[in-house]
Parts: sequence; C-alpha cells; structure tokens
Amino acid sequence: MGKFSRRDFLKGSAALGALVGVGTGVGSSFKKTKKVSAAGNTKQVFSACPRNCYDTCSIVTTVGDGTIKFITGNKNCTYTNGRLCVKGYTYPNYVYSPDRVKYPMKQEGRGTGKWTRITWDEAFEMIANKIFEIKKEYGSTLPIALNKYSGTFNTLSYGIEGTLSSIGYTTRAQGTPCWPAGIDSQTFDFGTIVNSDPEAMIHSKYILVWGANPAWNSVHSMNILQKAKENGAKVVVIDPILTDTAANADEYIEIKTSTDGALALGMAKYILDHNLHDMDWMRKNSVGYQEYLNYLNNNITLEWASEKTGIPVEVIERLAREYAAAKPACIWIGYGMQRHTNGGAAVRSIDALAAMSGNVGVLGGGANYAQLDSWLVNYSAMAMSPPEGSGGGADRMININNFPAQVLDLNSGDPNKIPIKMLWVAGRNPIAQDPETSVSYKAFDSIDFVVTADLWFNETVAQSDLVLPISSIFETWGVHASYWHYWLHINEPAIDPLYETKCDVEIAMGLSKKMNEMEPGSCTYPTDRTMEEWAAMEISQDFLNSKGMTSYKDLLKTGTAKVEGYDAAWADGVFRTPSGKYEFLSEKCASFGHHALPVYVEAKEVPTDRPIRLLTPHWKYGLHSQFQNLSWMQSVHNEPFVEIHPELAQKKGIADGDMVKVHNHIGFVELRAKHTLTVPKDAVVIYEAWYKDQKFNVNYLVEATPADMGSCATGQAGLAFHDQFVNIDKL
Amino acid sequence: MANQKYGFIISMERCIGCNACTISCKSYYNLNPSINRRFVREVEETLVGEAKRCHISTACNHCEEPGCAKACPTGAYTKLDNGIVKHNQDRCIGCKMCATACPYGVPQFDPVKKKMDKCSLCVELLEVGEETICMASCPMEAIQVVDLNETETIGLVDRVNGFVNPDITKSTTLFKLPDATHTVRRDL
Repeated sequence: MGKFSRRDFLKGSAALGALVGVGTGVGSSFKKTKKVSAAGNTKQVFSACPRNCYDTCSIVTTVGDGTIKFITGNKNCTYTNGRLCVKGYTYPNYVYSPDRVKYPMKQEGRGTGKWTRITWDEAFEMIANKIFEIKKEYGSTLPIALNKYSGTFNTLSYGIEGTLSSIGYTTRAQGTPCWPAGIDSQTFDFGTIVNSDPEAMIHSKYILVWGANPAWNSVHSMNILQKAKENGAKVVVIDPILTDTAANADEYIEIKTSTDGALALGMAKYILDHNLHDMDWMRKNSVGYQEYLNYLNNNITLEWASEKTGIPVEVIERLAREYAAAKPACIWIGYGMQRHTNGGAAVRSIDALAAMSGNVGVLGGGANYAQLDSWLVNYSAMAMSPPEGSGGGADRMININNFPAQVLDLNSGDPNKIPIKMLWVAGRNPIAQDPETSVSYKAFDSIDFVVTADLWFNETVAQSDLVLPISSIFETWGVHASYWHYWLHINEPAIDPLYETKCDVEIAMGLSKKMNEMEPGSCTYPTDRTMEEWAAMEISQDFLNSKGMTSYKDLLKTGTAKVEGYDAAWADGVFRTPSGKYEFLSEKCASFGHHALPVYVEAKEVPTDRPIRLLTPHWKYGLHSQFQNLSWMQSVHNEPFVEIHPELAQKKGIADGDMVKVHNHIGFVELRAKHTLTVPKDAVVIYEAWYKDQKFNVNYLVEATPADMGSCATGQAGLAFHDQFVNIDKL
Repeated sequence: MANQKYGFIISMERCIGCNACTISCKSYYNLNPSINRRFVREVEETLVGEAKRCHISTACNHCEEPGCAKACPTGAYTKLDNGIVKHNQDRCIGCKMCATACPYGVPQFDPVKKKMDKCSLCVELLEVGEETICMASCPMEAIQVVDLNETETIGLVDRVNGFVNPDITKSTTLFKLPDATHTVRRDL
C-alpha cells in the first residue's frame, strides 16, 4: 500500500482504488458478466438511460429474483467510466414507485382525480372509436394532434410519431423548445451540428464553458473538465449565474444575460487587432471572412463590447489573448445562452470566434454545441405510411413552442379552420413544461378528448380523459444515442413489465390491431413484431459495419459501442454548407430573414414595469418534470425556491427563507427565497421542476417569446426562456 | 493487513454537491426512502475567498471518540481496530440516544425497522478489496476511502469553517478544500 499524497489526489482517478485493497473498484463486482450467480437467480443486463440529457448513460442493472437490486454505470463506456448521475441512481425508486400509472384508466371529469381502471381492450376501443368518429365527421384525421417531445429519447419512442402516421394525416407539434436557435446557427456556419467528441476535451489547453452547466446537466463531461484542469488546462466559465460548474473552474466571468454575442465579437476584434487570427485557415476553409473581418474593423470596439456585456475591457482583452494563445482552445456552447431573442446570432458570433482563431477542426478545439451524427439508427418504429385513401393530404404542423395558443386559435370556432378534437400526448408533460401554463389549461379545455401515455399522474395526465401506463426502460427494449458523446447503447429488458404497462410501440401495435378489427385497413402499424425485433431493426447497417458487427447481438455483448471519427469535428475541412466551406457570410442565413454575417443583435429590452430578469434553468435533481417527484429525491430536497442576491433582497425587504411572490403580467409563483451571492443582482433564478403534490410550476411566469432562430433546421423558432421579466415581493 | 485505519477523504474541489453518493448508497442498501447514510450540505459561499457555490459531502465520520457509542445504552456501537464505527442493529432498540449524541446527526431512525441506521463504510466490500459504494459511484471521483495509517495527509484538513468542530468526537474524515476561483463580477 503506497503513500497517499495531495499530488496523487490531484492526479485524480489514477490514484483512486489503490488504497483500499487490491480490487479494481465496485465495478468489478458489478461488471457485466451475464453469469448466473451461485444462487441461480441473479443476473446483470445492460440498460440505457433515455432521458433528454447530454450524457445518455449505458447502465449495468443487477437483477435478483426478477427484481432490480442495484444499477451502476457501464465501464465499457469510457465517457461515463461506470458512474451514473444522481438522477440515474434513483431508477430503482423510479421503477418501483407506488405512484406509477399501473393500468389504463379513464377519468370522470378532467382534473377530478376520479379515475376508473379499464382494460387495454377498452382503452384501445375508446381511442379507435374517437378516431373513426373524427374521420367520419371531418373526412380526415387532421383534427387529431400529437404533442410529443423529449421525455424519452429511446429511438423506439419515435414509434409515437409512427402511431399517428399509421392512422392518417394528423396535426403535429413541430419544433423543439430546447436548442433550435443554436442548431440553426451551426447549420448556417458549418452546415449542421457536429461537436468534437467530449472525451477529447482532455487534450484542450483552454476551455471556455459558455452558458452550459455540466456540473448539473452533464456530470461526466464535468469530470472530463476537472481532469483537463488537473492536466493544466485553464477552465473559464462565462455565465450570468455562478453555477457549480463555475465554482469548479479556474475563472468565472459574469456576463450580462443575452449579450454573449458582444463578448465573442469583442474578443474576435482584439484577436484581429493583434494579428492573432488564423488567416491561412480562413483562406483555405471559409467564405465571407473578409466581410466578417471588415465588420469587426468597422463596427466593433472593446469599449462597446464592455458596455454591452458588463465585463471590463481589460478582462475581455485578457480572455481574447489567452484564448488565442492557447492551442488548442475549446469552446462549449451551452443551450441556455441561445434561449434568447438574439441567441442564434450569439452562437454564430461564437462559432466565428472559434473559426477565425484557428480552433475549428483541431483536436482539443472546436465550437462544440451538439451532434446527431452518432444516431446511426433506422427510425423503423417511426416510418409509417398513412392508410390508403387517407384524407387531409399531409400532416399539419403547428408550433410546439406556442402550442396552447395555436390550439385555441384553431378551436376558436372559425369554420375555415380545422379544429383540434383529440390530443395524443406521449413522451412529454406539456402542462408542466410549456410556457404560459394558464393558456395550456385553456387549450386542453378546448379539446374534446385527451389521451396521455405516461408513467406518472402529473399535471398533463390530470387534464386527460384517458391515461395509458408506460413501461420504464428497464421493462422494454431500446436503442439509445446521445446528442453530445458518440456512444450508441442497446437496452435489453431487465425485468418483466410491471402491472399492465406497455411501451409506446406496443401501444401502437395494440391500437393497430384493434382498429383493423373494427375497420380493416384503418391503421398501417405492423402488429407482428416482438420488441426485440423492433430493437434489432433500429440499429443501422452502417453502424454494424463500422464496428465489425454482424447483428445487434454483438452489441449486446458490451451494451455500448462508440461511433469513431469525431475526435476533432470538421478536421477534414469538408463542411456541409452550400459552399462546402465554413460560412462567415451565409446567404442561407439571410434567406431566413437574418443578417448574412454573425453580427450583434440587441438583447430584448427590459420592461420598466418588470425590471428583474427571471432565469429558469435546469434543476440538478431533475430533468424537466422528471425525477424530483421521487421519494428518494425528496429525501435530499423537496421544496422549490428562488435564488436572489442579498443586495436585491435587501432592497425588497426579503430575508433569507422568506416566502415571496414572484409575479408578472401573466402569472405568479409563491415560494421561498434563498439568498445567494452566486446570482446576478438584477435577476432571480428559479429552477424548473415538478414537485409531487405541490402547486409550483415556474412556467406560469414564462411567456411564449420566440428565439431568433430555429425555423431553418427544426421548422420552428426556439423559445426565449431566459428573456422573461418579473417583480418579486415578500408575502 | 493488520492495523488498518479506514477513513474518508473528501475532495471539496471535485465535489459538485450532486448527492449521487447519497442516492447510490440508499439504493445499494435499500434504505427506507426517508433516511440517508450520506449528507451533502451547502457551506459558506465565501469559504475560500470570492463567493462561489461550496458543498460538503460526508457520511459517518468514524470518529476516534464516537459520541454514538458513548450514548448508546445497549452497547450497539463498537469502534473497531480497523477504524470503523460499527453499529450492530441486532442490539439497537431505536431509542435515538445516538442521534442526539452525534454532533453530525449521522444515525437516522428507520421508521419500519424501528432501529437506527448509519454508514457501515461498506466493510463487506472493503474486505474483498472493493471500493465503497459512494467512492465507486461519485461521478466526480471526489470521495476516497483510505487507510489513514498509510496516507500522507499534507494539504488535507480535518475541519471546515461552518461545519461541526471535529475535536468534539475526533472525526477521522479529512477534506481537501476547494481552490479559490477567480471571479469577475458585474459592477451594478
């Protein structure tokens, strides 16, 4: 047993494990063996977390006597190194929670809680009858709307879209609330989103974490940042909030919210003025660089950038100098910073900073936002044709980011508009997550029939007529990819489905069977496949070929395999833009009504009657409306709160722990105030979450304000979640 | 391996206050949902200079002079030679005297078993050369269980401002304090 020193600790994991014995860690006792234990009733299987999260973890699930005993990370995946996050570790509680929806149930009067258990056959018949009734009355299925998004990113969950496609042309909630402005930016600049493998951040000398909070939302990348730091990289966090990520960084820069573009342009101007830019790279790999450099020369000064961002000139100069000198230097562009009316423009400015400084296409560099290249899946559960003779002509798209208002408009009684008569909700909790909660309730009230498929009796289920019980990932098959790392996971069932739960594809098959019994040819969803067959069909031949695999069964051996070739995104210099080059000047961007160059777009003006900005970022013990409702999570935290700087609190006469009312022209929230020096003096922070049996929902305060970009790549503009303004008073 | 003295070293530099340790421990030991064997608390934001978020993650501190053992009327607690403060649930009558005596509030009352519960330092795992659950689960690798007799403790501290004074029960847990973060704040 060797001596342990501080130096060893700083070296990190290399020193771990050596001190308590000869073992290689708990992972060895939970290592995937497939071996049946001496008792003959314990096994380990590979699962995968399907949540909307950067980290998308492969899981090893230990099952004894048909019951999940423990779960841990899969060490075959070097991204997670066999560790999960706090949310992942709650899964045994999630699966066996008494609060789960167990059976199909119908509600007598929405919101009454008077639920009656029915059979699946009755549920399918109820749905089928409603579909046939609508088809008869309207000549199409367009009055049936689907609202689905990111509650589960198991690729088989795209069977939800497939369900609706298989009955005819329907109305769809199109777009994404999450990240579309930044996707458009990178689509204009690079041709699409491709980030470098996050594991390559270890090679970086300088890392700017710009508006991301991996300490809460991507813990495995946080560990990579920590190791990069211990390797000598400097980690700098730029954020309006001094997050836990910032607290573990070398430096934190507080930026005035929604002025990120000005900082990027100011840094680029300094780099240009001091001849630190990479002219060779720009000449070889880009178009429009001269126009961009002219814009910097003619329009940008450091004083202007400082005035906009609230960051002193000398700090911007130092940041720019350090960033340009460190080779390679990496930028992680978070999703929070693009949830603004100028968020897309800001991301373009940051992309341009990375490109002009020669940090695109190099190992340990990049302007890293997201990727979908690793999704080498067939979407076979999704791709369904409408039945022959379906009316309506095509699906009708309405904006997911203003769904309730659009439903109310369609249901206003205008005879020229096809109304929404039936709503199918799955993989989503829109009443919790959509902005303007009050409008959400009205929209649901205007719809005749609402069916929701979920695991929990949440707010959306409460406003439904019928609830369908969904199985957790541990009870079904899955194929899971990440939008950040490059691992593709397979998920095999660990246990039999509890109660009468089904996965979304089984529901599609059951409904299809029932509809075709009642009206032959009315639904095209195949009914003769096992879930294992669906999972096998999902994995693309390209993926199998690239890994030298012959079938999905090879992937079952390790649970996970990495799509290779992305250590440095865009290293080949082949961009997916119209010109094939990096586009500082994008005609495509201009064609969507924006400036062709990555110019500064002014932030949304702060209203005089609501001078306090409201920031509603992700919560560490939840993912949107998931996890915080579980009893295990409640044992570490169970009360919403608003973070307020003591100076602002003092002005408002609010003591630490006081109950306060946060309010604006559309709603209010009452909760406890928490003093902290880590938030800006002109903003308050409330973390979005669903607390079981509590009225709290921060989206009562959030307006459906569109972000500047998103419609090119995702069909609809994003949501300016962080351009919200409130007042706060002591109760 | 004689004369081992197991104890925790917590890197507050690495800890992000996420409670993954608490929940993985709770899961592995199938604890009653209402009780925990680890505790993640916020500490003073100005602990190491300019304000930032700071957390302290601890379990039972396996004290040299454990208050629980002194207070327990049935002798359910034993300070073992290997450093572990062992709680024998068979002898426990759930009187909660230990919870009152422990300055850290470590022993928790299991409402189903009607007995107290606390961290065992995963002794059954240590004995077969495995890591404790919290150590193996922490996504930031912030928790170590070491043989304190064989460990160089330069740079580590036994006390953290705002946290319990370790002298009361001679806690064995050691901490690496966070490094200061240089912060540039807006002047409003």
